[in-house]
Amino acid sequence: MMSNTQNILDRLARGVRDMDEELAVEAAREALENKIEALTAINEGLVKGMNEASRLYEEGEYFVPELLLCSDAMYAGLNILSPHIQRSNEKSKVRVVIGVVEGDTHDIGKNLVKLMFDVEGFEIYDLGRDVPLTDFVSKAKEVDAHMVCLSTLMSTTMDGMSVVIDLLKKEGLREKVIVLVGGGPVSQSFAASIGADGYAENATRAVRLAKRLLSQKGVAFFDDDVRRAAG
Amino acid sequence: MMTSGERLVKALKGEKVDRPPFICPGGMMNMVTVEVMQQVCAPWPDAHVDPRIMSQLALGVHRLTGIENLGVPFCMTVEAESLGAQVVMGTLETEPRVAGYPLLEVAEWPRLRETGKGAARMEIVTRAVAELAGGNNGLPIIANLTGPVSLATSLVEPMTFYKAMGKQPKEVHGFLSFITERLIAFGKAQLQAGAEVLTIADPSGTGEILGPRRFAEFALPYLNRILEELSTCCKATIVHICGRLRSIFKEINQLKTDAVSIDSYTSVAELKNALDSKVVVGNVSTYLLQKGHPERVKRAATACLKQGAAVLSPACGISPLTPLANLQAMAQAAKEFSPAGAGG
Repeated sequence: MMSNTQNILDRLARGVRDMDEELAVEAAREALENKIEALTAINEGLVKGMNEASRLYEEGEYFVPELLLCSDAMYAGLNILSPHIQRSNEKSKVRVVIGVVEGDTHDIGKNLVKLMFDVEGFEIYDLGRDVPLTDFVSKAKEVDAHMVCLSTLMSTTMDGMSVVIDLLKKEGLREKVIVLVGGGPVSQSFAASIGADGYAENATRAVRLAKRLLSQKGVAFFDDDVRRAAG
Repeated sequence: MMTSGERLVKALKGEKVDRPPFICPGGMMNMVTVEVMQQVCAPWPDAHVDPRIMSQLALGVHRLTGIENLGVPFCMTVEAESLGAQVVMGTLETEPRVAGYPLLEVAEWPRLRETGKGAARMEIVTRAVAELAGGNNGLPIIANLTGPVSLATSLVEPMTFYKAMGKQPKEVHGFLSFITERLIAFGKAQLQAGAEVLTIADPSGTGEILGPRRFAEFALPYLNRILEELSTCCKATIVHICGRLRSIFKEINQLKTDAVSIDSYTSVAELKNALDSKVVVGNVSTYLLQKGHPERVKRAATACLKQGAAVLSPACGISPLTPLANLQAMAQAAKEFSPAGAGG
């Protein structure tokens, strides 16, 4: 029985990593039939596969198209498994406001980060692309956000990021929220120069950075709950 | 004394010139600033839809900044609008951009039809080129095209397009072939109207996004198809690719272009070493140009030329809020630079 469970979990992971949506769906159904807990199947199957895909992406084996296909397979599995998650006590989650700054409509990077945050169980408020700078601040206020993530692919719109940080200061929110910046033209030194809390080169690093900064701020995140439930 | 046009073409061909030219092609690589628009009374968004204002603005850019070329259009939405994308024209400070895609799925591409409104914008651009060419001022006019992958991702949601590369490669190739023929026609129209240099910019079709395998399969052949077809009707060609290029140096060597334009994340020296014969155009940081001081800009421009850029250019065009003084500093750097071995 144990090996059968492991076999199903492995196939879930493989379905995601190998961009094989059918395999992920099939293994998700088997997981339910075999009474594997949905949260276990998600974390030790689908999410594990997505983590492997992220590693391949970081290593330059996978690129954006591959990562998107992996995520499709993951979501196909999630659709089947998530209705069966037993939620005993819904904990408050990390609330993240994310968007592409005004003047730019490129949202690939933003969507990848959103996807990775989603896997982590963060609660995401996606403002989309070409977002008026004041919207980041008003949304952060409205949802009492822990984190604001700003993205741009264009060097011509980077300056908008420092404007958002200034607006947060004016609203007295700067100390409260973590500001992460990212996107093609953005760098660590740029992030430091505008007073952002962090910069990540890609989506997987953004997750690690976010978790580290949240821990430093003493914000408990969903990850712990998941581990407890899974363990 | 050679004209700016002769200098640019020679430099792009890798021939000896008295000094490197300073250009900013236009199209995706914007060269327009708010200061210029105000001084010559040719503002965005009006300039995107009127050939007279468009050409006035292109001339104003040259006169006030020292950029040694003329180039239109000032955005990368013309081709997409011609096939039914919804475009918002932006403001004085922001470029036009695509706000709605005509396709939900790649496989729907055979439905694409030329729209009257979109065709009218192509006509505006070619008429602006004709007006500029009529001025006969020795300045090179650059025709600008959006690259095939970037046009594709202006007609269907980019995520959908990238996924289709894995799931429906045949449809993606059909779509790209169709788009490529459209681009060839638009490029030809600009060149026949009097443009002499062609730039193709493909910000969504980079090695960083696609990886070398998919770049070779989906970007390279279509760029080369355009280059093969149009290099006979122009004097020189430039292909601009954003991002870090290291993973696709081999594929870049296979591009049938005279010159490769790069952004500031790729080192001029490193790319130059990896290239067999092409020249490098680039690559002073767009952000530095907006935010830095003229002295620093000038130093960065000189460093870029010392690294081996044959033509000096901003990395990814410029922000409309770039100060004129910074562009003038860059022009100065090009004028004062004496290429090694050129005898002063």
